[in-house]
Amino acid sequence: MPTPTLRRPRLRPYLWGPAALVAAGVLVPLGYLLVRAFEAEPEELAALLLRWRNVRLLGNTLGLTAGVLAAATALALPLAWLVTRTDLRGARVVTLLGVLPLAVPGYVMAYALLGLAGTNGLLAQVGVVWPRPSGYGGALVALTLYTFPYLFLNLRTVLLGLDPSLEEAARSLGYREREVARRVVLPQLRPAYLAGALLVVLHVLGDFGVVSLMRFETFSYAIYLQYAAALDRVYAAWLALMLLGLTGALLVLEARLLKGRLYARTGGGAARRVRRTALGRWRILAYGFVALVGLAGIGLPVATILFWLGRGAEAAAWGDLGAALWDSARASLPAALLAAALAVPIAYLGVRRPSAPSRLMERVAYLGYATPPLAFALALVVFSLAAAPFLYQTLALLVGAYALHFLAEAVGPVRSALYQAPPRLEEAARALGRPPAAAFFAATFPLLRRGLGVSVAFVFLSALKELPLTFLLSPLGFRTLAMGVWGAAGEALFSVAAPYALVLILTSSLLVGLLLRDT
Amino acid sequence: MRRLPSLLAVLILSPLLAACADEAETDVPGVEVADAEGPLVIYSGRKDVLVAPLVERFREATGLAAEVRYGTDAELIAALQEEGQASPADLLWANTAGALGAAGDAGLFATLPDSLLGQPAAFVPSSGRWLPVTTRFRVLAYHPQRVDPTALPATVMELPQQAGLRGRIGWTPAYSSFQDFVTAMRLLHGDEATAAWIGAMKTLDPKAYESNTPMLEALAAGEIDVALTNHYYVLRMLDGEAGAEEARPEAPMAIYPFAEGDVGNLALVTGVGLLETATHPDAARRFLDFLLTEGAQAFAAEEVNEYPVIPGMALPDRLLPMDRAVTLSPTLDFGRLSDLEATLDLLRRQGLL
Repeated sequence: MPTPTLRRPRLRPYLWGPAALVAAGVLVPLGYLLVRAFEAEPEELAALLLRWRNVRLLGNTLGLTAGVLAAATALALPLAWLVTRTDLRGARVVTLLGVLPLAVPGYVMAYALLGLAGTNGLLAQVGVVWPRPSGYGGALVALTLYTFPYLFLNLRTVLLGLDPSLEEAARSLGYREREVARRVVLPQLRPAYLAGALLVVLHVLGDFGVVSLMRFETFSYAIYLQYAAALDRVYAAWLALMLLGLTGALLVLEARLLKGRLYARTGGGAARRVRRTALGRWRILAYGFVALVGLAGIGLPVATILFWLGRGAEAAAWGDLGAALWDSARASLPAALLAAALAVPIAYLGVRRPSAPSRLMERVAYLGYATPPLAFALALVVFSLAAAPFLYQTLALLVGAYALHFLAEAVGPVRSALYQAPPRLEEAARALGRPPAAAFFAATFPLLRRGLGVSVAFVFLSALKELPLTFLLSPLGFRTLAMGVWGAAGEALFSVAAPYALVLILTSSLLVGLLLRDT
Repeated sequence: MRRLPSLLAVLILSPLLAACADEAETDVPGVEVADAEGPLVIYSGRKDVLVAPLVERFREATGLAAEVRYGTDAELIAALQEEGQASPADLLWANTAGALGAAGDAGLFATLPDSLLGQPAAFVPSSGRWLPVTTRFRVLAYHPQRVDPTALPATVMELPQQAGLRGRIGWTPAYSSFQDFVTAMRLLHGDEATAAWIGAMKTLDPKAYESNTPMLEALAAGEIDVALTNHYYVLRMLDGEAGAEEARPEAPMAIYPFAEGDVGNLALVTGVGLLETATHPDAARRFLDFLLTEGAQAFAAEEVNEYPVIPGMALPDRLLPMDRAVTLSPTLDFGRLSDLEATLDLLRRQGLL
C-alpha cells in the first residue's frame, strides 16, 4: 500500500448514497428470488434442480456466449482500429454504422434475418433461396450483429484516449509495429475490452427475443417460458438464480483479469496526436469490411422494416406514434441520465479507492443487469407495494427500475475514462484547497465527458427497447414505441409494427449522432 | 461503514419478506362498495391491436374512463398475485380458458351474475368465474403444394403415425393455446394417451416455436410443411386483418380440419374475469356487458377473424358458419381446462418446457 500523498477524504453521502441505491437494486430482486425459490417442496426442488435439461441449458448458454463474444470481437476490434488509427475516410459515418445496430431491437434483427431466407424470403425474390437461420448459428449471427457495438464503442473510446507517446517510446526502443500493437496497445485496451465484453456477455445471457425466434434454448429463454407461458414462479426463480450464479462467476473472472492495472499518464504535458496508419492497397478491403458490417447490422433491419411498411394496405396510424414516442422518451431519457449519474460515484470508488467493498459494489451493479427483467419487475412490484405504495405504477418507479437495471451499461465507459484520467490533477486541485467534490468536478469530471456520453447513449438505447419492465411497472395507459413494435409483430401485423420500429431506430440514431458529434 | 451493507440488506429485505408472507392472508371477504375514483383498470393478456379499439369504443359509448395494462396472460396473473389486495386492476382479459381457469383457481376472480353468464351461446365455465368473449379454434395448417390433405388423418391423435412428416411439423409447446389443447386431450383421452401422443410426436422431430406468428412465417418460408396452430393466424396471413395488413392470398398455406368433435379442433375461448379486488365493480360490469353487445362481437368477427359467442351473429365468408365451427370442436366444460399444472408437469417430463 503506497503512502497517500493526501489524507483520503471521508466517505460522503454523495458517494455511498448511490452505492446504497445500487445495492437495493440488486438485493431486492435477489431477496425476492430467494423467497420464491424456497417455496418449493424438497422433492419438487430436487426434481427441478437435477434435471438433465439444466445441463443442456448451461451448455447452450455458455457456447452461445463464447461464440457471440468471439464474433463480436472479430467485428469490433478491426472497426475500432480503422476509425481511430488509419487514414480511412468518413470515420464519422463508419462510427455511426458501428453504433447504430444498438438501436435495433434484438427480435427485429431476428425477424429480419428470418425474413431474408426461405422460399418466400427477400432473397428468394432475386432467386436465391437460403435455408432459414435457426438454432445456434441463427442466434449467434443475430446477437453478434446487435451487440458488437458495445465492444466497438468501448474500444474506440479508449483508442482515442490512448497516449501515443507510449507507442512512440516503444518504437524508439526498436520494437516492430506488430510488437508495439501486442505489447503496448493491446494491454491498454484491456479494461475497455473487458467492460464491453461484459456487456456483450450479459446481453447474450439475458436475451430471450432472439433465442426464442431462433429456437435455441438458453437459460433466459427457459426463464422467460416459465414466467410468460407456464405460470411457474418457483422453477423460474431457480433458473434465475442459476443464471445469476453463472453471471457471478464471470464477474469474478473479469475482476481477476483487471486487477492491479493503471493506465493513466503519470508525466506532465498533453497527449500527442496519433500517427495514423496509411491503408494503401488494403483500403478496398477495409471499405468492403465496413460496408458489409453496415449492411448487415443496420441496412438489413431497416430494409426489412421498410418492406413491412410497404406491405400495409392503409396508411399507418401516425398519430399514435407521437404519443408512443413521448412515452418512450420521457421514461428512457431520465433513466439514462440517472444511470450515468449513479455510475460516476460507483466507477470512482472502484477505480480511485479500490478496496474489497468498492469492487464488490461495482460488480453488484452488473448483477442487477443479469437479473432476468421479469423477475426484477415482479420483485419491484412486491417491494414498491410494501414499502412505497404511492410509487407503484408511476413514471418515477419505471425510471428508477430502468436506471438500476441498466446501470452496468453506464459504469463501463465511465470506468474506462477514469482509468485514463490522471489522479494527480485532482490531487493538485485538493492541494490547492478545493473540497474533494469541487476538486473532482474541476479536474476529473471534464475528462469523463466522452465516457459519460457513451454511458447515457447505452442506457437510453437499452431503455428504449426494453419490454418486460415496461409492461409490468409503467403507469397505466403508458405505451412505448417498443411495446408498439412487439404487440403488433407478435400478432403478425408487421405493417402496423413497422412505423413504430422505424421511429424507434430514427430516435436512437438521432441521439447517438448528437452524443458522438463532439467526441 | 462495515455494518452498512448488512443494515441496508435488512432495511431493504424486510418489507419484501413481509409482503411475500402477507400474500397468504389476502382473502378478505369482498364488500360491495360504490366505485372508487379513477378509471376502470383492465389487465389484458391480449395484444393491444385486439383490445385497444374496443376500449376506445367503450369510452365513447359510456363516457367512462378506462385504462389497459398489457402483458402476457401468465405475466399478468403473476403480477396480480404479487399485488394481492393492493392491485389497482378491475378486470383480467385473457387469451385462453386455461389461463382464466388458473386465475380463478388462484382465487383472483369474483363470481359473475347469471345475467351476464346467460348471454353466450356456449363455452360458459361451470364455475361461473369468467365470461367467454370470443372463441378461436385449433387447426392443422399445411403447405398445399407439399402436403396432400387427403392423406392427413381424421384425428390429431393419429398425426404421429405420419412418418412422412418427420422434421416437417411445427408446434408451440410453450404457448398457452397449445397447452389448452394438451389439457383438453388429457381430459378427453386420459393422461397416458396424451403422454404417449407427445412421445410419439417427438420421434417425428417437430420444430418447437415460441409462438404461432414465427411458426406460420416458417410454414410460408418452407421450413416446415404442417403446423399445429390456431385458425385466425392462417386467416390473418391469407386475408389480412383490420385493414392494416395486406392480404397474402398467395401464401402457401391452407387449413385442414380434423373430424367433428376431434380435440385437434378444440375451441379456444378468450374471456374476462372480474377481479375479487376490483375497486370499480360497476364500471367493470358495464364493460362486460359492452363486450357482449353486437357491435363489440362484430368487431371480433370482422376485424380480427375470431368467432363471436352470442347467438345470431352474421359472420364474414372466410369464417365457417358458427354452428358448423362449434360442432367441429369437442364439447367439454371449459372451466375444467384450468388444470394447467398437470399439463405443464407432463410437458416438463417430456422435456418440452
